[in-house]
Amino acid sequence: MKNDVVIEVKDLTIRFNLEKERVDNLKEYAIKFIKKELMFQEFLALKGINFKVRRGEAWGLIGPNGSGKSTLLKAISGILQPYVGSVVVNGRIAPLIELGAGFDKDLTARENIYLNGLVLGYTREFIDENFEDIVDFANIEKFLDSPVKNFSSGMKARLGFAIATITDPDILIVDEVLEVGDLRFRSKCNARMKKMLADGTTLLYVSHNTESVKRMCDHAIWLDHGKIVKVGDANAVCDAYVAKQEEIIMLKQENLRRKRKKKAKKKRYDYLIVGAGLYGAVFARIMRKAGKKCLVIDRRDHIGGNVYTENMDGIQVHRYGAHIFHTSDERVWKFVNRQIPFIPFVNSPVAVYKDEIYNLPFNMNTFSRLWGLTKPEDVKRKIEEQIAQLGITEPANLEEQALSLVGPDVYEKLVKGYTEKQWGRDCKELPPFIIERLPVRLTYDNNYFDDKYQGIPAGGYTALIERLLKNVEVVLNTDYRDYIQEHPDRFERIVYTGMIDEYYDYQFGHLEYRSLRFETERIETENYQGNAVVNYTDREVPYTRIIEHKYFNPARTRNNPLPFTVISREYPEAWKPGMEPYYPVNDEKNNALYEKYRQLAEKEENVIFGGRLGEYKYYDMDKVIAAALDAAEIELARRE
Amino acid sequence: MDLFEYRIRTLIKYKSLIWELVRRDLRLKYRRSFFGYAWSILNPLLIMAVLTTVFSLMFKKQIENYPVYLLTGRMLHEFLKNSTTSGMKSIQKNAALLKKVYVPKYIFTLAQITSCMVDFVLSLGALFIVMLVTRAPFPPTMLLMPFVIIQIYIFCCGLGFFLAQLCVFFKDIQYIYQAVMTALFYLTPIVYPITKLKKRPKIVFVITHMNPLYYYVEQFRAIVYRGELPSLYYIVGGCLLAFVMLVIGVYFFQKYKDRFILYI
Repeated sequence: MKNDVVIEVKDLTIRFNLEKERVDNLKEYAIKFIKKELMFQEFLALKGINFKVRRGEAWGLIGPNGSGKSTLLKAISGILQPYVGSVVVNGRIAPLIELGAGFDKDLTARENIYLNGLVLGYTREFIDENFEDIVDFANIEKFLDSPVKNFSSGMKARLGFAIATITDPDILIVDEVLEVGDLRFRSKCNARMKKMLADGTTLLYVSHNTESVKRMCDHAIWLDHGKIVKVGDANAVCDAYVAKQEEIIMLKQENLRRKRKKKAKKKRYDYLIVGAGLYGAVFARIMRKAGKKCLVIDRRDHIGGNVYTENMDGIQVHRYGAHIFHTSDERVWKFVNRQIPFIPFVNSPVAVYKDEIYNLPFNMNTFSRLWGLTKPEDVKRKIEEQIAQLGITEPANLEEQALSLVGPDVYEKLVKGYTEKQWGRDCKELPPFIIERLPVRLTYDNNYFDDKYQGIPAGGYTALIERLLKNVEVVLNTDYRDYIQEHPDRFERIVYTGMIDEYYDYQFGHLEYRSLRFETERIETENYQGNAVVNYTDREVPYTRIIEHKYFNPARTRNNPLPFTVISREYPEAWKPGMEPYYPVNDEKNNALYEKYRQLAEKEENVIFGGRLGEYKYYDMDKVIAAALDAAEIELARRE
Repeated sequence: MDLFEYRIRTLIKYKSLIWELVRRDLRLKYRRSFFGYAWSILNPLLIMAVLTTVFSLMFKKQIENYPVYLLTGRMLHEFLKNSTTSGMKSIQKNAALLKKVYVPKYIFTLAQITSCMVDFVLSLGALFIVMLVTRAPFPPTMLLMPFVIIQIYIFCCGLGFFLAQLCVFFKDIQYIYQAVMTALFYLTPIVYPITKLKKRPKIVFVITHMNPLYYYVEQFRAIVYRGELPSLYYIVGGCLLAFVMLVIGVYFFQKYKDRFILYI
């Protein structure tokens, strides 16, 4: 029964010269020869392989890429010579040649059948006899006389398979060639292989697809790094192999996860800036320029805080109320102008009382309208007379305070209603300190602000903030609480521009704010009110003012008139916890409460509180910027 | 002797493959050209016409029937050059196949050289045409032509085997060999008569004794051009050279053939 063994592999070792680069020219050869590097990098592609294959058995070879499967097949086919050990083969081997590797692409199919057949060791007569069968099986009658280079890969695979299997070889070697080709052809091939197996042909089958190995083979060898890991029953070997592969994949994923975690931990920032408003953006800008790494988070879905402007069909809409930039601080003005150009703008609001129109702030235009007086001296006298008549010495409430500053006419028409709407209370119930002074100008000047510089950033405030946050990482829709819980160790220091009482979980109680509500509306008219800001001082009108956003860019509105406009009506609102906070209420009670929080804040080593909400302070924009610049400067000095 | 017998048997077993490979080479060489196989004859004729026009101006007076003189030399050189060059590249060219199927590797080298030989035999037609046109006599010694062709064929096989194995390891040889072949062309009296070098006996010695191609060109010219029997010196020398070259070629080829697979 010795003849029963068709392939006997004994202690097979195959050695490769593993040159780092192939040596195939004289120069390299000479260099390597001198360096004695030749022949010394050996690589054992197969190490001590032993197995026997009997007639009619089907063996599957599985293993990862580079495990030695193809090398083993080559050794069995006689292409590679053993370095150690031996390979004994009894019978004729038919290799399925990789996708037409055995074909000459310029020859026709007919010529290739002969050439390939002869390469496989058939005689010419034998090919003559079986020519029809080959053509039939490959199904290429129509293309017999066209060059093989025009064939599809499927056609080449069919032709190759047909030639190799036209006779029952003793050993058929299939090296992953059948993965191409359509379903019908594959089943045809499988059927033929099954039949050959039944007729006593031995099959060696290499595949990555363990399912097809299980289907075709009864035995299997699992190779890894040139060694047999497992040999025996196909099902058992395949299952073990699959299990191992899965284990490796799991392990790799685990490693990857661990690495990623490590990386995430490592990724530290110098500053976490909570709030992408003006304060946070300025601070981030300075720090980034100083080479510090900042991460800015904001719970809103946009940057900019309350200065945020959004583009509505070409009009920059101030979503959180009118913001007009004005300053006398050279440093701040220079700083903002370095970021973005400013459009000149002069705020000259108008007040509407019933059906009368008055200029603001109170100036000669207002007074002439009110009393018909044209001379500043007369106006001065008139106001003094009115105040003297009242005889208020110690104002007990806001009404008395205002009356003692501007007299009853101005107060009734321009102060009372507006202030009451703003605070939602009668002026008599409001403390006098809310209005410390009511400036009265005895000139015909409607410019609201006394500051040296005034303007609106070109492209809106959002553009300014974007510029400040350029190259700074920003994460929106993120609450500080949740974020810090997830990444407690990622930051050296924190800049907190949110509500300070919220930071301390309102442990002493809520600080109070005034709030606002805006009703924004697009109106299909070119000009709605002819001014950016119109105040409604009448108690009966529910809103305090209307903003017509296009007039924040007067030059553009003049030069490029749009057929529509966007207005916002501003309604004061009583603030309750959870609502959007606008103005801090700096009365005694709240200031005392803030003081308690501030003392806590002072003890924080790594947290800086800043901005309107962090410092519970009414801030003009220029003051916020100045504060942020100062804070950043101190911070940089501290770290040096 | 067993090994020799085994070799002969495999050679016989693969003879149809060799023949098929030869046919492939010949078919593909002129496939899709209008004149087809006729180019085997037309090509040497055209080249001869060019060379004759150029060189007959210089040597016309010294050489009788210059076109025949030129052709007898150039055709042998062309055969040596083409067969050994394609033999040299034969292993690389069939690398894809050699990696997948076991076929004795020398089959491909042998087939390449053989197909060049067939091409050469076909091109002899050009020589006959020129002899007819120039009214040259057809001496009976011409019947010895196969004897000379076999000698040079064996020589080319030996050289081809040697170059084929060398080329697997050092591809540079291809470019060096081109230059060597050009040098050989001028070192052999193909376009000029040897008598032209009478005053330089040392060079004449090198050319006539150390240049293997001269042994075959001399024999070939004797039987075709001059119509006389070649001198014994060149017959023995030619046969010996062919045999020694074959032994050297086969020796090196067999020694390194198992390592080819690692380099192709």
